[in-house]
Amino acid sequence: MPGTTAVPDIEIIVEDIGGGGGPTPPPGGGDDGDGEDRDRRRKWSPTPRRYSTAITLGIVSILMFFMALSSAFIVLRRGSNVWVPVHLPLVLWANTGILLASSFTLESARRRLSLADLPGFRKFWLVTTVLGFLFVAGQLIAWRQLVAQGVYIASNQASSFFYIFTAAHGVHLLGGVAALLYVLTRKVEPANLSRSVAAEVASYYWHFMDGLWIFLLALLYLGK
Amino acid sequence: MYDNGASHPDRPRTDFLSRCVFSTNHKAVGLNYLWLALFSVFLGMAMSLLMRIHLVWPGMHLPLLSNLGNSPDRFAALTTLHGSLMVFLVLTAAPQAGFGNYFLPLQIGAREMAFPTLNLLAFWATVASLLGLTTTFFISPQPAITLWVVSVAIFCAASLLNALNFSVTTIDLRGRGMTLPRLPLTVWAWFINAILGLLIFSILLAACVCLLSDRLLSTRFFPTLDFIVNQPPGVIADAVPILWQRLFWFFAQAEVYVAMLPCFGLVTHLISTFSRKPVWKERLVVLALCGVGVFGFCVWGQHMFSSGMNPFSPLVFSLLASSLGLPATILLISWLGTLWNARVQLNTAMLFALGFISLFLSGGLSGIFLARHDLAAAAVSDDFVTGHFHLVMGVAATFAILGALFFWFPKMFGRRLNEPLGKIHFWLTFAGVYCVFMPMHWLGLIAHTNLYSGSRMAAIAAIVGPVRTFITFAILLTVFAQGIFLSNFLWSLFRGERVLECNFWRATTLEWSVPSPPPADDFGASNPVVYRGAYEFSVPNVAEDFVPQHLAPEQGAKARESGE
Repeated sequence: MPGTTAVPDIEIIVEDIGGGGGPTPPPGGGDDGDGEDRDRRRKWSPTPRRYSTAITLGIVSILMFFMALSSAFIVLRRGSNVWVPVHLPLVLWANTGILLASSFTLESARRRLSLADLPGFRKFWLVTTVLGFLFVAGQLIAWRQLVAQGVYIASNQASSFFYIFTAAHGVHLLGGVAALLYVLTRKVEPANLSRSVAAEVASYYWHFMDGLWIFLLALLYLGK
Repeated sequence: MYDNGASHPDRPRTDFLSRCVFSTNHKAVGLNYLWLALFSVFLGMAMSLLMRIHLVWPGMHLPLLSNLGNSPDRFAALTTLHGSLMVFLVLTAAPQAGFGNYFLPLQIGAREMAFPTLNLLAFWATVASLLGLTTTFFISPQPAITLWVVSVAIFCAASLLNALNFSVTTIDLRGRGMTLPRLPLTVWAWFINAILGLLIFSILLAACVCLLSDRLLSTRFFPTLDFIVNQPPGVIADAVPILWQRLFWFFAQAEVYVAMLPCFGLVTHLISTFSRKPVWKERLVVLALCGVGVFGFCVWGQHMFSSGMNPFSPLVFSLLASSLGLPATILLISWLGTLWNARVQLNTAMLFALGFISLFLSGGLSGIFLARHDLAAAAVSDDFVTGHFHLVMGVAATFAILGALFFWFPKMFGRRLNEPLGKIHFWLTFAGVYCVFMPMHWLGLIAHTNLYSGSRMAAIAAIVGPVRTFITFAILLTVFAQGIFLSNFLWSLFRGERVLECNFWRATTLEWSVPSPPPADDFGASNPVVYRGAYEFSVPNVAEDFVPQHLAPEQGAKARESGE
């Protein structure tokens, strides 16, 4: 009986849907499909999880960018006998401290947010943003100190790498600062990007910027 | 341009700008990418024609080459521009960004890409990069090179945004029941390709940043040879000349697979649909697609066998490059397995898919020679490489794109392309490209016949000229055939046979469950639910020879009863 042989298949299929491999339907948006024209587009809203997925993949991509630069640095450093090292300005260490501290204040802010302490969240978030600006200012001071010593981007390969690394990291970090400012100052809260999701996504990126800076600093320091 | 507002009263009738140019709708963006690729492919083709004519009849007065000073620079610029247009704006943009933007959300049951605004931004960045690339041809060489690097950097940024959007969409926006094993292979290919793109375009972007800094800020990441010669020994690293090669090929060898991966997906999809059979060993095909991505990421050294790298590394790269044969063979066997004993529907889309297999096989076989590190360094000249990669990358990918266009044209425009014209176009192109690129392999081998004694060498060298002329005539024929395609395309866009049914090809995936062309919100009132895999063709005891993914089991049972 050919008709009956296929029944187990159907059962398996039904089970499969119940077990659900696909993404969970967005909260509130049922699939009942009662077909009101106006609600149609509102009903399908993509899951907010897409923001954290995007930032994770974006981080991987940015990491590849810096890996390309670092591998160029390592190849050129190992291949040359005469390498004029850059004396890292002392202010860099202060900057590193500032950036590390900002990661801690960011986490404190997120802890306040999870406790529903909104003023506390705003305070720590503001501190983090200010620390971010301080870091960028500190990097600019480091550049000025090098310029005062007569070390320019085109002076030698080591200085080129110093400026390129700090500039590329600075540009990416400014993106992070923009994200921090956005979370701090936004007036409207779109339904699919709640404050906690936005804060979480911004924090992933910020910690990555922090870790990346430590890596770059170690590379520049050890590659002297 | 195309009228799809009239048949769907629920689509808001807005002006051209907001509907097509600044629309964040995934279908509008996908179509825009396809228009861009169509423009670029004809521009690039015109350039290749100019180059070939110039090669055979150097004295002829040609536009672009003669007007702007008939110098060798112009010819080199033409080659560069032909390559950059074809690789970036056709092979990278059309199968991934073009068809992908249009059909990825439709096939996974999403109504939009994950980040529509970023998508629009990426498209316009791509347009800017096309403008930049084209402008380079009309300005003097030094600023032109800088502009070229800037344009490529912009293209990288756009591709990164695009890749991010694709991967997030596939991970997070799949509709209900669309589990990973049920994804159509086109989606798998777009997804794997997006991940690969996310990794490699960053590398090229970094290389471009260094190069721009060299050109504008006079740093010396990639110093010129005359600069190195004038330095005291040791100041500039020995490794310098190959640094650019490393960074560039790390991107560029993987870029070949970025162009090919979506084509593998498209071809597998077409072959299964028109053989009316499930993809043979579907899971293995997914693994093979992943394998192409992974191996493709690791073989950059393959292009640097003669660059003085560590003598052991060519061996490693050669092994890795040869191991690409494994996933390629799996794909090939799966295609043949699907075709085995099938009632093949030989329409134009299927012809192009079969043509892809043929070209991929012939191009892939010459690739084996190039993957051998000893052989590639010793015996092969430029013409061989040109023939190889045009056959396997350029033409094969174009065949996949054309096949996909013939397949999806009814869905995109509600009309179908003319079949007889399409078949004439296919056979002329198929014959044409073999006549063009096969002799190039011979030319490449002839260039190394200096082992022979004088008289035999002269005899061999005598045929080089006629072969070149033959190639040029074959190119004229092939370009003429593209004229047939263009007129078929434009005519069918406005006057082609109307397609009223949703599922014109009796295919299984979700895009065929919606009207043609799809309405602005894709799936209308209810969100689609997926109940089965993507390739349920010729299922026993079912009335039709296909079971769509969105068909609920109880509906399927009803259909079965009515069929018996």
